[in-house]
Amino acid sequence: MTPLLTMLGMWAVTFASRYLGLSLGGLRLPSFWLAFLRFVPISVFAALVVPDIASAPDALRRAVAALLCALLIWRTRQLAVGILCGFAGYWVLRWLGWLA
Amino acid sequence: MLPLWLGVAPFAVAYAVTARAAHLSLLETQFMSLSVFAGASQFAAAGLFGQGVGGWSIIATTFLLNVRHVLYGLSLAQQLPIHGWRQLLAAQFLTDEAYGVSVAAGPKQPGGLSLGFLLGAELSLYVVWNLFTLVGSLAGAFIPDPKAVGADVVFPLAFLGLLVPLLAGRREVLVAAFSGLLAWGVSRILPGGLTVLIAGLGGALLGAFLSTPQSRRKVKP
Repeated sequence: MTPLLTMLGMWAVTFASRYLGLSLGGLRLPSFWLAFLRFVPISVFAALVVPDIASAPDALRRAVAALLCALLIWRTRQLAVGILCGFAGYWVLRWLGWLA
Repeated sequence: MLPLWLGVAPFAVAYAVTARAAHLSLLETQFMSLSVFAGASQFAAAGLFGQGVGGWSIIATTFLLNVRHVLYGLSLAQQLPIHGWRQLLAAQFLTDEAYGVSVAAGPKQPGGLSLGFLLGAELSLYVVWNLFTLVGSLAGAFIPDPKAVGADVVFPLAFLGLLVPLLAGRREVLVAAFSGLLAWGVSRILPGGLTVLIAGLGGALLGAFLSTPQSRRKVKP
């Protein structure tokens, strides 16, 4: 499938999700599925991060950078600060040749 | 709204850099922001494109990530009865941020939440998201080989930025740890797109199981 076709498919499923709720104003979901939907982002984000770091050739270095980034975002609540410092941390370790 | 625009901008740049690193063209990178317009799933798709994951897996992951919009729509529809083309327009540009602002600040407006207020929040975010997608795309074009210089490390960092604020309690941390470890295990056997789907579903089910019995227990004396 070409990237463009894939994106059209992504658009279709995203729009459908957005439209469905707006058009079904009175529906009530069981609490189990409300909780399920609430946990989807947490679960998916974690599933994207861990294998990406663990399967890299310099996994340890990336893990340290990620830990620094997570700590900073947790303390400062600033996305940009966390990403930039995590990136800088990764680069310093790389430049020093540590944790390869 | 300003903090939201400031929050969205660096994320749009990070998305575009990741998408360019995954060898999507400038037009493709921009098209995704113009059409799909859903930060987390665009970002996930960029990462999955980079790993060479197939189209159906990317679409399925997008669906899993964006199905939460059903909730936002249900909630907004209670406060704002709209129909026809207005419903289509409000649906196309609905995001977490626009929903959050509309539910929090909309009822305080004279006359309550209006379509104008919702669309104002939605479209302003759309403009910022697309503008900074372009900025990131252009900046990304100057990075010779993003993998070689390690620019791909932005991908897990930006997702941590989304994940960390969601870890409000023990249950959330447990679900994230479970899903992350499950994904790590599964990724050794199966391709990337399926990994995210399986671990994503597994983690969310665990979260739902952990939440539901507890809320029932509270009801009982």
